[in-house]
Amino acid sequence: MNKQLKAVITGLCLSLMSSVAIADKPETVTVGFLNLVNAQLVTKSLGLVQKEMPGVEIKYIKVGGGGDMLRAIAGKQVDFGGLGNPPAAIGVTRGLPIQGIMVLNMLDYVEALAVRTSAGIKNLRDLKGKTIAAPFGSTTHYLLLNALADEGIDPASMKIVDLRPNDIALAWSRGDIDAAWFWEPALGRVLKDDGHLFNTSGLMAARGYPTWDVGVVMNEFAEKYPDYVTKFLKAECAGIDFWLNNPAETAKIIAKELELSLDDATRMMKGTEMVPCDKQLTQQYMGTTEDNGGFVDTLVSTGNFLYEQKRLPAAASEKKMSDFIHPEYLESIIK
Amino acid sequence: MVTHWLKRGNNQRFAISCGSVLAMLGAWVFVTETGLANPLFLPGPKAIYLAFIDVLFDGYQGSTLIEHVGTSLYRILLAFLLACLVGIPLGISMGMSKTAHAIFNPFIEFYRPLPPLGLYTLLVMWLGIGESSKLALLFLAGLPGIIIATVQAVKDINPTFVLATKSLGASRMELIREVYLPGAGPTILTGMRISLGFVYTVLVAAEIVAATAGIGWMIWDAAKFLLSDIVIMGLIILGLTGIALDAVMRFIGYALMPWTRATRQFSKD
Repeated sequence: MNKQLKAVITGLCLSLMSSVAIADKPETVTVGFLNLVNAQLVTKSLGLVQKEMPGVEIKYIKVGGGGDMLRAIAGKQVDFGGLGNPPAAIGVTRGLPIQGIMVLNMLDYVEALAVRTSAGIKNLRDLKGKTIAAPFGSTTHYLLLNALADEGIDPASMKIVDLRPNDIALAWSRGDIDAAWFWEPALGRVLKDDGHLFNTSGLMAARGYPTWDVGVVMNEFAEKYPDYVTKFLKAECAGIDFWLNNPAETAKIIAKELELSLDDATRMMKGTEMVPCDKQLTQQYMGTTEDNGGFVDTLVSTGNFLYEQKRLPAAASEKKMSDFIHPEYLESIIK
Repeated sequence: MVTHWLKRGNNQRFAISCGSVLAMLGAWVFVTETGLANPLFLPGPKAIYLAFIDVLFDGYQGSTLIEHVGTSLYRILLAFLLACLVGIPLGISMGMSKTAHAIFNPFIEFYRPLPPLGLYTLLVMWLGIGESSKLALLFLAGLPGIIIATVQAVKDINPTFVLATKSLGASRMELIREVYLPGAGPTILTGMRISLGFVYTVLVAAEIVAATAGIGWMIWDAAKFLLSDIVIMGLIILGLTGIALDAVMRFIGYALMPWTRATRQFSKD
């Protein structure tokens, strides 16, 4: 056997041994975070995940919206991610290998229906014949269609167009649209330009349509490194506690992370509800391993809604949705 | 004339093409039927067919397949027609006159390599979210190919023909009609065919912003909901319309420029 071959084989054996030896610890952890205002920005900025996982390389990837996050998950480009309830219902129904492990945020007036003040819109019926924008497939598109359905208004009586938040602000400033349901920070620009809040995601939550973002982990990662899922949650919970206890400091972090003014950051923070981790296992949110919480109900009704919209090939299954929610990691921290 | 045009092709090459397409279909059926491919990312031909039937009769998000295809073809053809109406005269004048070339060339060379999405943001700012910004993007995608091909075609014309025609007392318009257009025709047609391809490549980009119908929008929307059967079905339809339009253009060339037919019979490969 020549020397080179020996060296190669020894090298292979060594690398195999070392990979077995450190199998309890991932080399890198990739966190895909949504481009919105929640405590994940605090966790990221303070490096809390890194503190829980010494010796592991932490990578953060900013993801524009739910659709992109679904693609990132399908392409196995992230270990942890976040999804609003419509993309989560889509991902679960289509069988993406993910588990829901925590409440990232509940959406209040950080997402809202803005209408043009000079257009004189007094109620939803006045939107007839007007052009309304929403990012299709998002939480706000879901709420817009539900709000119209609740009042018995045919969505076909107006022109609903698919625009991304920044394009909405652009189309608004040109006068192309008269109403839009979307989110901060682009929402703030519209409100300063002849716009006012007409409905908010918080108001819709009170009417039985809560919208939220759920933190997810890839099945493969959770099976291989269950301890690291717990570590990740500890870090995120610490971030949420920091948000709740130090609002002034948090606003500074948000302003820096999203390049906003301090006033804008403060307003957006107030429009987002953070749920402390010890409350996340209650009936309202994740529930427990024995008993499903409200998240499962929301996922089922969202899935059924998307099925009626022909955006999902099958109606939502309660079992699939309940199997998706994994409260056990959070339970192991709270107890 | 149509049958003659169709017959001129080589039967053997056609058979080989059919064979390679069938082999591709076979591989597709194989990987999907044996479970080698995840149906979420690559559904089988049957799922694509079912999606086709469903969208054909029930529609996708408020428009039937015919309406989606019609909307997109209308945008493509109108933008392409405008690109030809602007590009061919501009190309001829740039090919004939060095001054015209010097005036217009910097702009064409500058915007040609710009990514369509970057350009699109600006177009939406100027023209709004309606039809005009979409048409403008498609138009701008098609324009440079036509201009560049036309300029080259005009420059390649043997100057002896030009001088001979001029010495016989032809006016500038007669020169264009009798020498430049017939001489440059085949190359212009090739430029048009390539340009139509460029128009197709930006169709999805053009229909991302505020469209509610169009085959590009359908593909984009379905991708958000992981409806890969509709995505693939849309791409196949888009590809087939492209092939059909290209065939139409080649036929028009064959009918309008009979002098290009003779050379074909002698070419062998």
